[in-house]
Amino acid sequence: MTASDPRTLTCGKTIDELSDYLARDRRPPDPSIETCPECLNALSGLEDLSAWSRELIEDDGRQLGAPSAEWLRGILDSIALEVRSGRDLPVRHPDPRVTIAITEGAVRSLIRSVGGTVPGVVIAGCRIEGDAETPGAPVRVAVTVSLDWRMSAAPAIAGLRDALGAALAEHTELEIVDIGVTVVDVHGSAPEEEQS
Amino acid sequence: MGEPVVEQEDVLADVSDDVLVQRAVDGDTDAFAGLIGRHGPQLRALMTRLTGSQAEGDQLAQETFYQAWRELPQLEEGAALRGWLLRSGTRLALTHLRSTRPSDDGRPAAAASGDLAEADVPDGRRARLAALSRVLGALPENDRHCWLLREMGGLDYDEIADQLQLPVTDVRGCLARARASIYTRMEEWR
Repeated sequence: MTASDPRTLTCGKTIDELSDYLARDRRPPDPSIETCPECLNALSGLEDLSAWSRELIEDDGRQLGAPSAEWLRGILDSIALEVRSGRDLPVRHPDPRVTIAITEGAVRSLIRSVGGTVPGVVIAGCRIEGDAETPGAPVRVAVTVSLDWRMSAAPAIAGLRDALGAALAEHTELEIVDIGVTVVDVHGSAPEEEQS
Repeated sequence: MGEPVVEQEDVLADVSDDVLVQRAVDGDTDAFAGLIGRHGPQLRALMTRLTGSQAEGDQLAQETFYQAWRELPQLEEGAALRGWLLRSGTRLALTHLRSTRPSDDGRPAAAASGDLAEADVPDGRRARLAALSRVLGALPENDRHCWLLREMGGLDYDEIADQLQLPVTDVRGCLARARASIYTRMEEWR
C-alpha cells in the first residue's frame, strides 16, 4: 500500500500537503501556499469537502428521524439502574429503633425542583458540603445556576436562596449554615430560530 | 406558585449542554434525555455510516449513551460533549466491527451508506449530499473509516491509528487516497 497521493498541482504542491496544512489550521502561515491561486483554490475545495462531510452527517441524522420510543427507553431504563444516590443523610425519628435517611441524590433532586420554581433560574449542579451524615453538623449547600439573560441577577439569586432555605428546612434536617449560589451560565431563547 | 414545574421542562431545552451535563452528573435523567435529544441524531448517523446498518448503529448509539451516563462525572469541565460522544461511539463501533466481521478489510461497503441521503426531494444541496454519500460508500472500508473518523468524528491521525489498529503511516495513506477520490469525484459540485 503506497501512502503517496499522486495528485499534484501544477505549482508543485500536493493535495496531501495542502490537507496537512489545513489540519494545522494554516499555521504557521506558508507564503508559498497563501499567495498561490492554485493552492488557495485547492484549499477552498478541501474545506468544502470537510464542510460537506459534516453536513452529510447532520443530514443523515435528520433523515433517520426520531428514534423509536423503545430506543430511548432502553437507554433511560439502563441508566435508571445506576442511580447516583450519594450519601445517606439521617432524619431523626422519635423511636430510636427506627432509622430513616434521605439520600443525597434526593436532596439534589429537591434542590433542582425548587430551582425550577424560581423564574429565570435553572440549577446546573449542586453540592452538599460538610459532614452531612452526622445529625446537627454544619452543612454548606453550593449550587451553580444558569440565569435567563433577561432577568436581573440579584433578585433571582435572593429568591432562589430563600426558596432553597425554606424547602431544605422543611424536607431535611440538615443544619444549613450557608447557601452559595454561583451563576455559571445564561440562557434564554433568541427571538427567531436560525434557518438551515 | 401554581404551575412552574411545566415551565422547567421548556427551560431545559434552552440551557447549554454544560448545564444539562452538570444536572445529569447529579443524577437528573430528564437532563440526560435532553442531551440524547440534542446529540442522538448525529451519533446515530455516524454509527450507521460506520457499521452500514441502522439497526447496529442504533444499538451502538444506545451503548454510547449508556457509557456516557457512567463516565459523565469524569468528563472534564467545558469539554465538548458532542465530540466526546462521537469519539466514544466510534471506539465502540470499531470494536464491534472487529468482533463481528474481522476479515472484510478493504472491501467496499456495498450496502453501507448510499441509501440514507437519497430518500428525499432532489434539490441542488440534496443531490450534492447524495453524491458524496455514494462516493463514500464506494471507498474501500479502511479508507472510508479513516475519512469518517477524521471528518465526521473529529479524530486526529494518532487517534485514528489507535482506533483502527493501524500504523499512522497507513492512516495517512488511507486518508490521502480517500481525499483524492472524493476530491476528484466531487469536483463537479464545487
